[in-house]
Amino acid sequence: MSFGAIGVAALGVYLALLLVVADVARRARRSHAPVDHFLAGRELGVFVLFLTLYATGYSGNTLLGYPGEAYRRGFSWIMATGFMMAIPILGHILGPRLQPLAVRHHFVTPGDWVRHRFGGERFGPALRTAIAVSMTIALANFLFAQLKAMGLMAEQVTGGLVSYELGVCVLAAVILVYETLGGMRAVAWTDAAQSLLMMAGLGALLVWLLTEAGGLGPLTRGILAVRPAAAAVPDAAECANWISSIALLGLASLVYPQMIQRIYAARSGRDLSRAFAWMSFMPLTTTAVVTAIGLAAIPRFEALGHVDADRVMPLLLGAWAEAGALATLGAVLVFLGALAAIMSTADSVLLSLASITAVDLLERQRGEAATTQLGKRIAVGAMVAMAALALVARNVTLWGLIELKMELLIQCVPAFLMAIHSRRLRAGPVLAGFAVGTAFAVGVGFGLGMSRIGGVHAGVIGLVLNAALAWLGSLRRPA
Amino acid sequence: MKSRRLRRLALLGVAALYALSIPWYRETGEAPALWWGLPDWVAVALGCYVGAAVLNALAWRHTEIEDPDAPGGDEP
Repeated sequence: MSFGAIGVAALGVYLALLLVVADVARRARRSHAPVDHFLAGRELGVFVLFLTLYATGYSGNTLLGYPGEAYRRGFSWIMATGFMMAIPILGHILGPRLQPLAVRHHFVTPGDWVRHRFGGERFGPALRTAIAVSMTIALANFLFAQLKAMGLMAEQVTGGLVSYELGVCVLAAVILVYETLGGMRAVAWTDAAQSLLMMAGLGALLVWLLTEAGGLGPLTRGILAVRPAAAAVPDAAECANWISSIALLGLASLVYPQMIQRIYAARSGRDLSRAFAWMSFMPLTTTAVVTAIGLAAIPRFEALGHVDADRVMPLLLGAWAEAGALATLGAVLVFLGALAAIMSTADSVLLSLASITAVDLLERQRGEAATTQLGKRIAVGAMVAMAALALVARNVTLWGLIELKMELLIQCVPAFLMAIHSRRLRAGPVLAGFAVGTAFAVGVGFGLGMSRIGGVHAGVIGLVLNAALAWLGSLRRPA
Repeated sequence: MKSRRLRRLALLGVAALYALSIPWYRETGEAPALWWGLPDWVAVALGCYVGAAVLNALAWRHTEIEDPDAPGGDEP
């Protein structure tokens, strides 16, 4: 049986299982209220909460983009382990305060917190709308990146039997079906299954690579022989980039709408604490592993000349698949694991996008079943639009898309992380800071094409301006 | 009280390990020695992240999250 045929069969079984899970989730539904559809009735226990946090945080970008970055930059990409670990570390700032408030005041979307905190102030509604618009743009961008990665991965896992275009359309349709049927419950349960698949696949690939290279020492010596600069101590700009990436990814990931909604969906504070405690170890078992995988590609592909960053993982898996029948099965497992990671992020993003649009932008009541129905229709519209875009725009690298999303999201930090600890902050200065920070990040980063200044991301500099303006402006007494 | 102090100490440890993980104190471009098969500065960074993961998990174990049903919660 060929690699492609095994891939098609495995993909079919996997998609069928997802639909079964969706049906079970639909039967477990308690009501048609938004809190049940978008937050699984706030019943996520520690195990499912941990796995859905994991599947949401570690996306197709982690599995496809990060090995490519490690291949391109060398050992300094160990910084990715640091910035992914910054998420559960910085989680201490937000989670313990936000979870009880969310339960007490029935929050469903991130905008519910903004309304609760700033709602009575003159600029409160404008701040809430501005944040909802920014989050919607970031989520749409993220959804597009996941759809693009899904198409590429479907093509790879089936050895080209399923085309990129067909992969995008079929997988987008499957996500839509299980999400509209089962809501957050289906998303979280499929996330749990997808996380386990992803971990199994990555572990198998790492073992194969290290066995092939003869261990870590020979692998590093192989890298030193073909590209010594990849192992040299990084310069000041790279160290600045390391610090900036920890700030950018750590802070922005914490204000991911889907991350905030998982904090809302926790069954209890104790479950949330335990899930975040377990999350602390995941960068070591995932990010460090994909970094090692990208590094292992250096001695293999250096002689080929330029290799696109996004192609590194598929090329490695292709090479592995040729090593025998067992290796073929292993490569299919990794491909499926990567596809699972991508789909699990796409479904979470879509659910958040639908809820924010329905509740925060269209101002529908968060307690009514009609809001859930509207959210489902928005999900269909958003998925169709982004899938169409993914079909016509294939030439955008995944890492570039992650950075764009992060530069936008990080500007929401004062409205969440600062405002939850300080009574002093007022809506007007926070809105002004948000506008200045976003304008700086987008203008300098994308208008002028300077995504970093001295190694520091434009979004991080924008956040410093944003936070300073929010804080200093709030010191002035209102007229 | 003891729990809160332990949590604070663990988080301070995490901050110190993060500062140590970035090789800002090393000579740029220096050829590294190999430790456990990795360039020494990479082995240091990885060791720091292992330590940070353990301390952060400990900090979360000692994090007390308020009961949402308790009257008069801690609101900003």
